[in-house]
Amino acid sequence: MYKPYELKQLSMLRIPAKEILMEDLAQIAIDTALKNGASFADVRIENARSTILEINDGVTKAAVSSKLKGAGIRAFKDGAWAFAQTTDLTPTGMRSTAESTAKMALATKDKVAERFEIDGPVAHGRYAYSVNKKFSSISIDEKMALVRQIDDQARNFDPRIVTTRSVYAETWTELYVANSLGTSVYTENSIPRIISAPTAKDGTNRQQSFKSISVRGGYEVMEREDSQNLGTSAAELVIELLSSVPAKGGIYDVVLDPILNGVMIHEAFGHATEADNWPAHSTILEDKVGEKVGPEYLSIVDDPTLVGKRGSYEYDWEGTRAKKRHLVKDGVLTDLLHSLETASRLGMESNGAARSESFMDEPIPRMSNTFMKPGDYDADELIHSIKSGILLCSFTYGYTQAAKGQFMFQANHGYAIENGEKTQMVRDVSLAGNILEILSKVDAIGNDFELEAGSCGKSGQMVPTMSGGPHARIRQVPVGGM
Amino acid sequence: MTDALLDIGAHAVKLAEKMGADQAEAYIGHGRLFEIEAENSSIKSASERHDTGIGIRTIVGKKIGFAYVTTVDPSDIETVVSDSLALARSSIEDPDFVTLPSIEGSYQHPPDLFDSRINKISSEDTADLIIRTIEATKEKLGKHKYAIDAGVSIASSKVAIVNSLGISEVESRTSISIYSYPIIKDNDDQTASHEYQISRSLSDIDPEYVGSHAAELTIGFLGSKIIEGGEMPVIFAPLGASSIIGRGFSGAVDADEVQMGRSYISDALGRQIASETLDIIDDGLLPGGIGSRSFDAEGYKSQRTPVLESGILKSLLHNSYTANKDEVPNTGNASRPSYSGLPSISTTNFMVIPDKGTLEDFISEMEHGVVCRNTGDQPNMTTGDLSAMIMEGYYVKHGEIQHPLKNTLIGINMLDLLKRVTQVGSDSRRTFTMITPSIVIDHATVTSG
Repeated sequence: MYKPYELKQLSMLRIPAKEILMEDLAQIAIDTALKNGASFADVRIENARSTILEINDGVTKAAVSSKLKGAGIRAFKDGAWAFAQTTDLTPTGMRSTAESTAKMALATKDKVAERFEIDGPVAHGRYAYSVNKKFSSISIDEKMALVRQIDDQARNFDPRIVTTRSVYAETWTELYVANSLGTSVYTENSIPRIISAPTAKDGTNRQQSFKSISVRGGYEVMEREDSQNLGTSAAELVIELLSSVPAKGGIYDVVLDPILNGVMIHEAFGHATEADNWPAHSTILEDKVGEKVGPEYLSIVDDPTLVGKRGSYEYDWEGTRAKKRHLVKDGVLTDLLHSLETASRLGMESNGAARSESFMDEPIPRMSNTFMKPGDYDADELIHSIKSGILLCSFTYGYTQAAKGQFMFQANHGYAIENGEKTQMVRDVSLAGNILEILSKVDAIGNDFELEAGSCGKSGQMVPTMSGGPHARIRQVPVGGM
Repeated sequence: MTDALLDIGAHAVKLAEKMGADQAEAYIGHGRLFEIEAENSSIKSASERHDTGIGIRTIVGKKIGFAYVTTVDPSDIETVVSDSLALARSSIEDPDFVTLPSIEGSYQHPPDLFDSRINKISSEDTADLIIRTIEATKEKLGKHKYAIDAGVSIASSKVAIVNSLGISEVESRTSISIYSYPIIKDNDDQTASHEYQISRSLSDIDPEYVGSHAAELTIGFLGSKIIEGGEMPVIFAPLGASSIIGRGFSGAVDADEVQMGRSYISDALGRQIASETLDIIDDGLLPGGIGSRSFDAEGYKSQRTPVLESGILKSLLHNSYTANKDEVPNTGNASRPSYSGLPSISTTNFMVIPDKGTLEDFISEMEHGVVCRNTGDQPNMTTGDLSAMIMEGYYVKHGEIQHPLKNTLIGINMLDLLKRVTQVGSDSRRTFTMITPSIVIDHATVTSG
């Protein structure tokens, strides 16, 4: 059921000649690649516009707009891939790029060890994410005023706040994907983001906090109460951080808050389920498909079909319809994140996990919105059950090495737990562990749920994601501190 | 010097001035990147990227706007100039902005930034480099069960910068990097490591060394264990030192971060902030250096800047904005991700001056402690607190490596780390972020479990 504004937008899509042009250009590239010997070819034509407005201490630090347009072409033959990209969106440009890409694939094919073919479902679709207020309908002055409001909120919150950083960012993208199997998919996406990161100082103690909001949508997202008051909530946190002490390193029982639980799931597990790890033999989970990897009360999902989330999409960057993935079901590794290639090689069907940062990059298996499913415990109960430990909250960053099975992530802050009570605030706490060991140490899962916006980097490509889950308790893990 | 990119830049600057900019700057980047990737010990893919675009910075009074586009078509340039001006006009005035940079003194041109052999290398010869890397890795891995991930990347780029104050500079640069990432799977034990080289010159690249060293390292990480934690000395091998110093310290001497009060270093110029054994320079003129260039990302001349001398902080790293704000000389450290961003600040060739001793020497002198060969972590730049996972490291006792480490973290504040440097080695190597030898710190908190 479409709402009126959705209908309006969808009907508008059929009008511009530009879109017909995209289809024609893509077909020229595919035909040229096949004529030059490729057995499979695909094309991504993208047109993206973004704006970034950053205010520091009441002054505009960056006012940036960008126009990104071009095509990425892949050609495949006998297990060898070639990729090239062009900003020359003319029939001549597409033809010459497709020809050189196909030649590159043919030159590479004799050096590959494993031959395979690319197959997959064919999709025809068009989808424009519906927005109430298009970015282009709002003036730069109005957006700048919002950033200023957030920045003023943080700066005026407390005299101990010494510097403020506030950012508004928007990206609108139209993407057309076509391949030689017959897929033809046009999508539009729209993602705004607002960030507040104030720094506070008390004597020699200096702290910085970071808060952001990002979901799919138009400018209406910025009119929500939480967006409008982001500067205040970031300021509250940074002032609280001034009273924190560095955590003492050691082995602890910990409770992860939903945000950090999501980061753990993303780093410690999600990356290792990206199916390009299987042909490369680069994941510690290689022999674990269909096997128990955690307790039976633990389930992990990666779901790009959630409505309105930052990591959501309808078709992936190979034009495959996106599906919900049950990575771990009742403790058993059941699903992987697939591209056309990994699905073809592993004899499965792609579940639409291939993503690219832009037309300049090749699509590879990636996460979308990744989370642990809620369990039975009350979050407070988890904290009360710990005699001596740490509640870890919010995140700074994390990373993993799937081949070795190790990961680490850093919490923005935490609270010491003593005799079941939250006590002193601590900061800069990190947690390291082994992918195969950590899930079995998760011994209780909360019944609450929250997702947090993030960006995930892999092979030099950043894509928007979300991660989250409930509170979770983990026994006896190494926590790094001073 | 006449050049097509400079002509495009000059035209864009004139257009911006005509449309009302008080000052304008055009940054044009033109690059080619050719890569071959191998998976499971065999070549799998090749890619070629051509990227040309223009970024326009406009100044109206003390208000700044910036826009870029991924082409250099005249109609696109006209649109980005107008977008840039619209953004400038909607901006809030920055009272600390003084001016875009102008030409001050003569430019030095560091040699060996462009290797015509890299520019002309055939795809066959490029493939040969990766095949040799894989073969060398295989030979050393012998009977272990393995899968080798490897890659080679060839880049050539040209940068042109033109501004209203007479700056008009263009330079071509090349670079090549190769890596080998073997994964060994022996029964229940699985591990991985890597080695790489990066250079502006093809003749520096040694695929046999990269392959065999990657294999040796990986074999050495089999059988990792946890240890009993506590306070103990840490040796950072060059890659580990490069993460900690190259990212964790260089970011703290970024003048913009210091001015904004976001660095753990403040009011420290001329003060002893590190051990006397530590000397660090930022050298934009190093012959063939990966960070070398005749001019920075605003077209300002490159130089050699002492940062730490015997542990005393001698200078921060500046671009034109921060230098004008502090009323100090510009150090030529403006940096950009290409045409697609405003200038920030980063190092050129950030170098720890070598002293004496190698990683092996330091291990043999260590009674009880750990070696951090590599970490992906960096400190909280505001507090300086560092909590780093030892991604690759060893436990050392009585001067000998006992076993590799797993699930082990180092905790220390950067200000303490800098002061606790007891030895600086002579085994310097080039990494993606800096040039550094091994360094030893007296003690840090090690947690393992």
